Amino acid sequence: MRVALAIAALTLLVAALSAAPWFVSDYGLAFLINLMCYVVLTVAWALFSGTTRYVSLATSAFFGVGTYAVAMLIKVMPIYAIFAVALVLGTALSLLVGMVTLRISGMFFVIFGFGLSEMIRELMVWWEINKTHTMGRYVFVPFDNTLIYEHLLALAVLVFLVGYAVRRSRLGLALLVIGDDETVARQVGINVPVVKVAMFVVSSVFMTLVGAVMAPRFGYINPNFAFNPLISFQVVIMAFLGGMQRLWGPVLGVIPLVVLSELLQVQFPYWFSILLGLVFMAIVYVLPRGVTGLVEDGWALLGRRMTLPRGSIGSLVEIVSWLFRPLVPSRGISERLATAWGRLKRRQGA
Amino acid sequence: MAALLEVEGLSKSFGGLAAVRNVSLSLGPGEILGLIGPNGSGKTTLLNLIAGTLRADAGSIRLNGEDVTRMPNHLRARGRINRTFQIVRVPPNLPAIAAVMAGTLFGGEPVPYKKAAYEAAGIMGELNLLLKADRRLDQLTYIEQKRVELARALATRPRVLLLDEWLSGLGSGELEGSMSVVWSLAAQGIAVILVEHVMTAVRSLCGRVVVMNAGAKIAEGPPAQVLRDPEVIRAYLGDEDA
Repeated sequence: MRVALAIAALTLLVAALSAAPWFVSDYGLAFLINLMCYVVLTVAWALFSGTTRYVSLATSAFFGVGTYAVAMLIKVMPIYAIFAVALVLGTALSLLVGMVTLRISGMFFVIFGFGLSEMIRELMVWWEINKTHTMGRYVFVPFDNTLIYEHLLALAVLVFLVGYAVRRSRLGLALLVIGDDETVARQVGINVPVVKVAMFVVSSVFMTLVGAVMAPRFGYINPNFAFNPLISFQVVIMAFLGGMQRLWGPVLGVIPLVVLSELLQVQFPYWFSILLGLVFMAIVYVLPRGVTGLVEDGWALLGRRMTLPRGSIGSLVEIVSWLFRPLVPSRGISERLATAWGRLKRRQGA
Repeated sequence: MAALLEVEGLSKSFGGLAAVRNVSLSLGPGEILGLIGPNGSGKTTLLNLIAGTLRADAGSIRLNGEDVTRMPNHLRARGRINRTFQIVRVPPNLPAIAAVMAGTLFGGEPVPYKKAAYEAAGIMGELNLLLKADRRLDQLTYIEQKRVELARALATRPRVLLLDEWLSGLGSGELEGSMSVVWSLAAQGIAVILVEHVMTAVRSLCGRVVVMNAGAKIAEGPPAQVLRDPEVIRAYLGDEDA
């Protein structure tokens, strides 16, 4: 019954969201696109980084690959064909990166992700200057904001469905154990590298597709714009702010930060970056143990609440412990009365 | 008795330090082998080599005739060799049952995801942990932590179980209970290697003891006989006292 209600409510929510373009202003739609873009990116990021606790700064690399694939191919291919190409490119790149980097851990992985994005950007700049002699490309296609929004919404639904399925599978439990202690993960028979790479690929493919879908929105695209490291940092901050112990947790971080950056951009267009940076610093500083480093301490803070998804397991554990509760003598009313009575008698004796 | 685990000429060096030198031993199903020696004699390293936590430089490890020397850790953990760690290793932020469930899902006899919780609850029940299934590591007592780790190891259905000081640091009542747990595991046909400093446990549980010193095996035999061996006494107490 509750499940049916939840499904009905979620369907209604998705229906309402998909109808939104016909009810909001152009500005409202632009805002919703921005919001939905970061929802997909952040939830996809949390799929991998939230469970394994490998903080990835490669978001902009994958996003950029998607965007730039559209920019380069739009003159020769229909846009849906390019989405398929983006999917293949994202898979291939994340497989490669995953297999190369997931053996390195901690800070090195973080830096590698950042470096990867920068490297691809520089490579594209070099390519465009020396080979194609076109710095900056225009994407003019009949793919308006409503369509972009609906596609992002579809991706959002998909990423939630994938996340939901993963959390209720062997893979999800494997990821949780890996995130908590890799040595233990190996010791219970989990093939750690394969699980990590698989999840990294799933997460990265979503990012690549978001980049591809967003490309027509930008109109004019150059490598510096497509591979914007700010995207990676924003996604991390949003996920940390929202929390990752629940699938929808990151969304709670996306909404305030997208609203905030929108406000800042409108009110203080020239000071935008500085103010956003200050806000990020404040967020990091407010995390109680966020002095020595965002990554480590953010994890320590969030990790405490990181529990198994309350699916069948949670309720089973509850049922089992409830069934066995009678083994522990419970302090019922009668026993309380008995102790109170005993205390009273002892006091009278004295 | 046909040997279940055969270790031959196993060696491992860390830089210039030979932590394990040319150690051989064999073990049959249901046997409890004690592995003793002074601190730093290479017992834990040997355990790490057998479990696959570390790779051996030389020598071979065979399980039921199958060569597992180069087999990665996670494959060895699947229904073959599992271990407990000297310092308890269970995922610190997950409920105790999580690691046990993972063991039932990825171990030697993988169960479907829906059955994993029942299976894990069964294993924990046998070790008297059912009421603690939803606790985190730091909410458990020391002996409960040790038992959770054992449950995690047993969930993968090992044929060889390596216990690294699993009985150390327990009170006398707890020790007796834990010893009977080890005993019952052996009775189920699991081959157990017991790295231990608690000599009462070694004497009463182990039919055979291997003594290591400075990375090499210096004696092997029944506990009572081995512990009288002058070389063993010298290893523990130094030359003057031998």
